[in-house]
Amino acid sequence: MITGGASAIAFYMAWSIGSNDVANSMATAVGAKAITFRQAVLIAGVLNFVGAVFVGSHVTETIRGNIVKPSTISDPHALLLGFIASLLAAAIWVTLSTWKEMPISTTHSVVGALVGFGLIASGTQSINWFKLGQVASSWVLSPIVGCIIAFLVFRIIVKLIFDKAKPVESAKIVGPGIIGVTAFMIVSSLLMKTPLGEKIGVTTDLTVFTTSIFVGVIVALISMFLLRNIRAKSAEDYDTVERIFRRLQIVTSCYVAFSHGANDIANAIGPVAGIIPLASGQGFSSTAPVPVWLLALGGFGIAVGCLTWGHKVMRTLGYRITTLTNTRGFSVDFGAATTVLIASKLGMPISTSHTVVGAVIGVGLARGLAAVDLGIIKKIIVSWLLTVPVAAGTSALIFLLLKLII
Amino acid sequence: MEKEVEHFRAPIKDVVRRKSPFDGLLEHMRIVKKCVSLLGEGLTKYIDGDYENFSKLAKKVSELEHDADLIKGNIRAHLPKNIFMPVDKGEFLWLLREQDAILDHAENLVEMLDMRRTKIPKELRDDFKKHVNLVVSTVEAMEKAVENVKDLLETSFIRREREQTKKFIHEVHNREWQADKAKYTITKNIYKLEKKLKPMDIYHLLKIADWIDDIADHAENVADWLRAMIAR
Repeated sequence: MITGGASAIAFYMAWSIGSNDVANSMATAVGAKAITFRQAVLIAGVLNFVGAVFVGSHVTETIRGNIVKPSTISDPHALLLGFIASLLAAAIWVTLSTWKEMPISTTHSVVGALVGFGLIASGTQSINWFKLGQVASSWVLSPIVGCIIAFLVFRIIVKLIFDKAKPVESAKIVGPGIIGVTAFMIVSSLLMKTPLGEKIGVTTDLTVFTTSIFVGVIVALISMFLLRNIRAKSAEDYDTVERIFRRLQIVTSCYVAFSHGANDIANAIGPVAGIIPLASGQGFSSTAPVPVWLLALGGFGIAVGCLTWGHKVMRTLGYRITTLTNTRGFSVDFGAATTVLIASKLGMPISTSHTVVGAVIGVGLARGLAAVDLGIIKKIIVSWLLTVPVAAGTSALIFLLLKLII
Repeated sequence: MEKEVEHFRAPIKDVVRRKSPFDGLLEHMRIVKKCVSLLGEGLTKYIDGDYENFSKLAKKVSELEHDADLIKGNIRAHLPKNIFMPVDKGEFLWLLREQDAILDHAENLVEMLDMRRTKIPKELRDDFKKHVNLVVSTVEAMEKAVENVKDLLETSFIRREREQTKKFIHEVHNREWQADKAKYTITKNIYKLEKKLKPMDIYHLLKIADWIDDIADHAENVADWLRAMIAR
């Protein structure tokens, strides 16, 4: 019963992530008309699911057992209620802030909620302060890293494509090159220390590396082949360059969706992953693998979120951010997705939306956008400072209430 | 339904502007283009002594000036302090201001001519027409330079595009210089007719030449600010 209820809330969280955060990060591709709303929903649904199931376990483990030290809470009942309280508190805060259109992050809500219950359940000793510090610094670092990568990718596009004598011809080589890197990142994340990697016998770092390089080169060659017939009308035919990137952006938007699934899935199912063994009477184990059905449930929730509500969000956003052309959108996507994927592999729960914002600012700083509103930085910092205490307070309150009732 | 759609958290929508200030600048420039081309035709007729539709032209120019003012105000209002642009915001606003000054001077010119329809003496008609054509072509050269901002933005200000813009700017200077020379010719020829013309006519003719020339001066200022704006 408890598992069922918790899964339902987790599903709701996944739905919320799917409808908001995914739509938010896919909107660059939709706004730049690289993909249609329908394709975006489909890509987001499928690749979030794939990312969640295959790479989602790292961050889930962090949420489950590395923020609050389960060993410090001896009563498994209290621990169970704590996880439920955190999940509920995060879901409530996310719903409220979505309603109020605040740029908060589901990640920050969940982490804040966990901290809240941990503190009230057994004081400061229950929190893994070192890990929490790492996570908190990753919140600051991820938008900055996203900003830097997007800045560099856009500068590469400018220097190696626009600044060349034949921009279109250069784009046909440089574009697929970056796509090859994208493929490398995805494949290596899928194989490095994952069950999938073990299954197909790719276990050592070296084999993972060579396999990924191989796939990356193949993908780059295929995209070069697909683009071979595009010709420039003149030396200043920048529209054709954009058209090339319109095609390439389909791949980077898949990259975004995949990375997103790998990271944000944990916000929905992390606490449930802690609840399941406790509810069935087993002790808490932070080493037990996250059940695949749970990852799949989260992935499915995200997909449903995209399908039911996400398309509306994407349509609205796609209409609003049309100034992000394909080369810009490509840089943003690549910067954000790479950051999120690396964070996922490191088990760092970060905010995808904030990373996307960092990436957009990066392209802006590279003189790639006509105008970037830096006022958002303040709003995001406020949302950080607000989300953690509010989620923590709510979670603590719900925890105490549940303890009284049950 | 429409209201429900808005309930989502999406920080990206607050970073990227829905409309670029440069789109506004080009939109404003297109009004300048339309206005100056109308003005060119209207002045040629005026010089030939055809005042038939001149009041209508004055009204039209005034309307265009007002439309452009709205665009200018809109651009300024949507450039808050925390906005980051690929060019200096101050230089951008000066460029806009000088572009707008072209319209102010065009409006002033037609209003003044409409108030006192000073007849242009036959001897001066060709000089005046030549001057008007040069002024209009200066503005046209300026339009071409400003229009290149699109390519500059697209390529993030690469050297090739900056060089091209500079070439267009050079052309503006060249034409403005010729317009100046044409004005001095007019002035000289007006003084030659000193004995023949009424003092008030002379005063007004000199003024007309100045007013027409003001338009080219401001087109040159636009080009200068553009040059400053695209400098590294």
